[in-house]
Amino acid sequence: MTLRMNVPEGKPPRLSAMTLAGQLAAPGTSLIVIGLMLTICEILVPGFVSVDNLMRLAGLAGFLGIVAIGETLVILTGGIDLSIAWVVTGSGCVFTKITGGQSSLLTLGIVAALAVGLVGGLVNGVGIAKFRISPIVMTLGMNNVWQGLTLLYTNGTPTGGTPPLIKVIATGYAGPIPALLMFWLVLGAIVIAVLRVTRAGRKLFGVGDSPLVSYLSGVRNDRIIIGTYVFSGLAAALTGVLYAGFSGASFLGMGDQFVLPAIAAVVLGGTSIFGGAGGYGGTIIGALFLTVLTTMLSIVNISAGVRDIVYGGVIIAALLLNRLSQAEVR
Amino acid sequence: MKGYLEEIRNTEATGPAAVFLFLLLADVVLKGGRYTEFDAETLAANALPLVLVALGQYFVILVRGIDLSLGPVMSVSSTLAAVLFPLGTVPALLVAIGSGALAGTVNGLLVTRLTLSPIIVTLATMSIWDGVSLVVLPTPGGVIPPALQAALTSSSVVLPVPILLLIATTGVGAWIMSTRFGLHLRAFGGDDAAAKASGVAVRRIQFTAYVIAGLFAALGGIYSAVATSAGSPIIGDGYILSSIAAVVVGGVPLIGGRGSPIGVTMGALTLSIIGSLLYFANLSDFYQSLINGVILVVVVGAVAARDMIWKAVAG
Repeated sequence: MTLRMNVPEGKPPRLSAMTLAGQLAAPGTSLIVIGLMLTICEILVPGFVSVDNLMRLAGLAGFLGIVAIGETLVILTGGIDLSIAWVVTGSGCVFTKITGGQSSLLTLGIVAALAVGLVGGLVNGVGIAKFRISPIVMTLGMNNVWQGLTLLYTNGTPTGGTPPLIKVIATGYAGPIPALLMFWLVLGAIVIAVLRVTRAGRKLFGVGDSPLVSYLSGVRNDRIIIGTYVFSGLAAALTGVLYAGFSGASFLGMGDQFVLPAIAAVVLGGTSIFGGAGGYGGTIIGALFLTVLTTMLSIVNISAGVRDIVYGGVIIAALLLNRLSQAEVR
Repeated sequence: MKGYLEEIRNTEATGPAAVFLFLLLADVVLKGGRYTEFDAETLAANALPLVLVALGQYFVILVRGIDLSLGPVMSVSSTLAAVLFPLGTVPALLVAIGSGALAGTVNGLLVTRLTLSPIIVTLATMSIWDGVSLVVLPTPGGVIPPALQAALTSSSVVLPVPILLLIATTGVGAWIMSTRFGLHLRAFGGDDAAAKASGVAVRRIQFTAYVIAGLFAALGGIYSAVATSAGSPIIGDGYILSSIAAVVVGGVPLIGGRGSPIGVTMGALTLSIIGSLLYFANLSDFYQSLINGVILVVVVGAVAARDMIWKAVAG
């Protein structure tokens, strides 16, 4: 028997009314803390909490939110993806170099960038599901591989530009609503629907909850796991393309800022790091939480060091609040 | 003493040692067969911070944890030492080492008392220690006592000091694993429920692993500050993931309970020697991370493949 067992002990049965309330408790707490942080912002900068500004913030959260789609799926199966840093950077560099800013090459550029994500995810998934390599090691190793390949491909200096359409999606507005926010919410709605309604979605929860039970129920665990890593790679590639559009160019290390916040967003949203429980709705709130936190820290007049300390402290505090609120419900 | 010798002979380190010796041989060949004491000293000095932080990471991984904050802990001790050295070498060293113990204590308490997942806890504390080091010293600098630097990097003793330190730190790791405490670490990592039933104080064991990790990381930060003549708030960032990589290349599976400190040192040396090999093979630096990644995946994949074949053959 080569199945890995990672079923935490004493876990309550899923899908009961009690655990549903427990799952809602985490995003609920995060929402309350978001409200607190916005209040602090309003006190510091009167007029901060306006429809336009909140919309702008929500749009900015889209980059983190989209890359965290993949991380949510992967973590739901009990895995983790640390390779998104250089998959984001690599696909962004491929996209700008191929298109060079020309609309006529847009489709080719997007296909090539997504191919990077697809291959990255496939290699991760096969290594993890078929060769039983631990997800941390596999994705860490592949992150290095993509870093090396990106450096070789760009020769150390990314070139090219982004076609206007991508710039519009990444930075444009429809009235007060950022285009990226709409794009993100449409993607998010699809992800939530797939997770909640389709067979594949239910199987994904099953694999994360108990690989053994899932396997014995006739689910091809391997396929589900490989699938989640492929989607994670694709989400990272999409983020690379959009972030290149936002910055006007690709640059080395552009993906580094997303890795740890993506994991934090998933966990703050109430998804269990052991897999099997949670969902993307919570991650959306987690991404908003981290974006508001970063913004609040950037308008407070404190040094970079203190900012880092508060950032980490707030995440720990939010996790503890989540834990307490879940304990209350149980 | 017997347990100590057994720990030294631990066969778990054989594979990683073979990989390192093979690369060392390649290095010697590329240098035209001339491998001086100076070459060995340089390798040891370059590898020492990674060896130290990887040994720390090893203890956490033994108890099925992971510590993403060890790199930033190095930054904290590096900056604290460099800022405090003018007040006296010994107090500065004590405070810097103490900062590692304190960081490990915080991590350990959050993981064991509040039962938060190690990856999430250390993700958050990573940001906190990074911030602390930036507050202590915003840009690389500070003062390193020349006498201390001379003592820790000199080559005048029997063996060059970096090599002696490398052997000593690995020895300390092996000694810890030869004690009853080491046995309990393994027991917890192997099966925490069984360990608890056998009367092991599991929470304390798990907690202590994080404290030891913080101590080793702090020593790594101090050594890198001394060796480079400056404290740096970003020195640790490069070690966050490479400390895990070194442990894994050292033959330690992330499932806990297995592996040996000697293997971990071999893993750290393997990752360190690759840079030297690439330089002499006249390959661009761009290949470094690529090759590191491939080695990481191939080493672990090979072990997995061997196990699968073994199972197939054994039925």
